[in-house]
Amino acid sequence: MKLGVFVNDYKSTVETVERLTAEKLGLIFIQNGVFHAALKENGKPSPLLDKTGNLYALSEDLATRGLTAADVDSRVKVVTYSDVVDLIFNDYEKLAWL
Amino acid sequence: MGVLTLACFSSLVGSKSLDFTLKLAKTAADKGHTVNLWLSSNGTMIGKAHQKHLKDYSHAEKPVRELLEKGVQICECEACALARGIQKPEAIEGVQWNAMHWYLAKIYSSDRVLHVGGE
Repeated sequence: MKLGVFVNDYKSTVETVERLTAEKLGLIFIQNGVFHAALKENGKPSPLLDKTGNLYALSEDLATRGLTAADVDSRVKVVTYSDVVDLIFNDYEKLAWL
Repeated sequence: MGVLTLACFSSLVGSKSLDFTLKLAKTAADKGHTVNLWLSSNGTMIGKAHQKHLKDYSHAEKPVRELLEKGVQICECEACALARGIQKPEAIEGVQWNAMHWYLAKIYSSDRVLHVGGE
């Protein structure tokens, strides 16, 4: 199963993500979840970024928080709403909301 | 083109999840997909007509009407609305009122489903 997970908050969701099993796992950071893509705590990026190679952050939600693509970890792809719709239909069969 | 069913349990107040849901619905509809939107729990508050657009206050009546014009089917959980004091005559014209079976039927006929949690 190809599973796309929307992460909408900046809290530790590592244990929840680790319990998800998928042939392909994607993490889509939206709302305050985009902080996972841009912030570091004690010099370390969010541990969520180590959970999959398919990482996305919504550009509009970065912008409303004063962040740009330059602030985002190089492993994360910055996407638009249109890109998210394409991810939903083309890349992931099931969707979850954290 | 596919069918996307969204469910939102969040209100406009204290959460950006409803805002996200409406924007995602609009984008999917603009790209030619069929979109269904189920509003439950506090999400039912956006189905009420005559929301005043005050500066700096969240406001969703206009985007809801725009979604309806694009052919997005929007349905409120009737029990959730009534429990919050919203009566059917107060609803935005075109917003459907029904029970959970509406949402379940849409899920079964959809290619993708995203269930957006509440507060």
